[in-house]
Amino acid sequence: MPRPTPVYIVASPNQKVGKTLIARLLIEFVQTDGRKVIGYDLQSRRSALAERFPHLVESVDISDTRGQMRVFDRLLIDRGITKIVDLGSGPFDLFFAVMEKIDFVTEARRQLIEPIVLFVTDTEAETARIYAGLRGRLKSTIFVPVHNEAVSVTFAAQDFLAGGIECGPIRIARLSQLVCRVIDRSNFSFANYITEPGGESEVHQWIGPILTRFRELELQLFANRLALFLNAGNANNGPNFEID
Amino acid sequence: MPKPTVVLVGADKGGVGKTTVARTLLDYLTAENLPARAFDTEFPKGRLKRFHPAITEVVDVTAVPDQMRIFDTVSHENVTVIDVRAGLLTPTLRALRDVGFLESMKKGEFSLVVFHILGASVASLDEIEDTSAFTGDASHFLVKNFINNTTFFEWDQATQSSYFRKVKDAGQIAIPKLNEMAFEQVELAGVPFLSFVANKDPKGESANYSFVLRGYVRHWLGNVWNEYERIKLKDILANGPVAKAKGSGRMQVVSS
Repeated sequence: MPRPTPVYIVASPNQKVGKTLIARLLIEFVQTDGRKVIGYDLQSRRSALAERFPHLVESVDISDTRGQMRVFDRLLIDRGITKIVDLGSGPFDLFFAVMEKIDFVTEARRQLIEPIVLFVTDTEAETARIYAGLRGRLKSTIFVPVHNEAVSVTFAAQDFLAGGIECGPIRIARLSQLVCRVIDRSNFSFANYITEPGGESEVHQWIGPILTRFRELELQLFANRLALFLNAGNANNGPNFEID
Repeated sequence: MPKPTVVLVGADKGGVGKTTVARTLLDYLTAENLPARAFDTEFPKGRLKRFHPAITEVVDVTAVPDQMRIFDTVSHENVTVIDVRAGLLTPTLRALRDVGFLESMKKGEFSLVVFHILGASVASLDEIEDTSAFTGDASHFLVKNFINNTTFFEWDQATQSSYFRKVKDAGQIAIPKLNEMAFEQVELAGVPFLSFVANKDPKGESANYSFVLRGYVRHWLGNVWNEYERIKLKDILANGPVAKAKGSGRMQVVSS
């Protein structure tokens, strides 16, 4: 049974919560795993992810239909390629409105593609409300909360339950300011830290648990799909028309 | 024995989206397994026929021979949908009155449904009273087709009262706006909305339409059909044609 190809949507309704950092980590994680990956940088302002990975990441404005087609249509092709969307706070509402309207998740699953929203949390009550609202509107979509300790020390687990998958939040520990400046350099790559784990450096200590969670998440996706497959008895892409 | 049913889709002004509404209606009938035939009065080239060629004839509704082709062959076996050319709705209704069709309708021999497509102008609203003078026992619906950001004067109570509330027996249908690019893509494809959603070309083979645009059309068509469900259109039409034996219930709007 083929593994589903993930489409990671790194999202938060707020700015400066570490979305682009998480997207970077995912890109390098997938790359060092020997898999193909492409990204979409949907920011209203500076396209930091596209600047860092100019050959892999495209900056797109989804405020018009053409931009929406550029992203959503292409998320559904090339099933073997993992896609990562760095969703800026500006287009946050529009992205999920389009995703819901066109029933993106249903079509993606028919193509053996699994959208996963990595929602970066914070302590604002409004953020929790938005998360609950999104989960309510996109009931069948997988939601995984991300707790970035650089944004908030505390994490209200009851407000940010995972959806569609059994897992806890992905925790991003706080890094020292010095190391933050190092990893922010344009020529910095996490690749060595990924391929040579277990080192003593602060980055090694920081990245190890994150990578473990990424691997667990992808294993859990496969397990979910396997369970569905076994329950259904047969993989089925579905007919063109369905009668009630 | 169910009554033969005729659905007139028209307006006395052009550019209000009559043919678009007629197309959604034909798709709805397809999904509900209700056999239909259509007459496209945009003689000689036709507009509706391009999208539903198998069931549509182009006719000149002002010519008696073509009037005979339409109304002499109305039967309970299918719903007859007539996409009335701009400017001809009231004259068509007048002609139906003159040939006795409206009288036959009053006697219960036929069902008539009138979809009067409104434009966002006072001139368009002026037509309501003209049309309603003929609709009598017909099922008369005022269709607000939101092809742009018009509000149909909903913000002005006086205008609302003077037009919409005068015609008490007319129902209202709101056709939401469809994404412009999606609409244009369907125009280029030249297929029914339902086929576009199913990613089929005019030959019925797999096409390569944008999933985003197909999604917009599916969402929009679903909303239009919700309006048809709300006015119980299926029940109105059920007094006419007999539903096919195969299949039960409505097809869902599903992408391929």
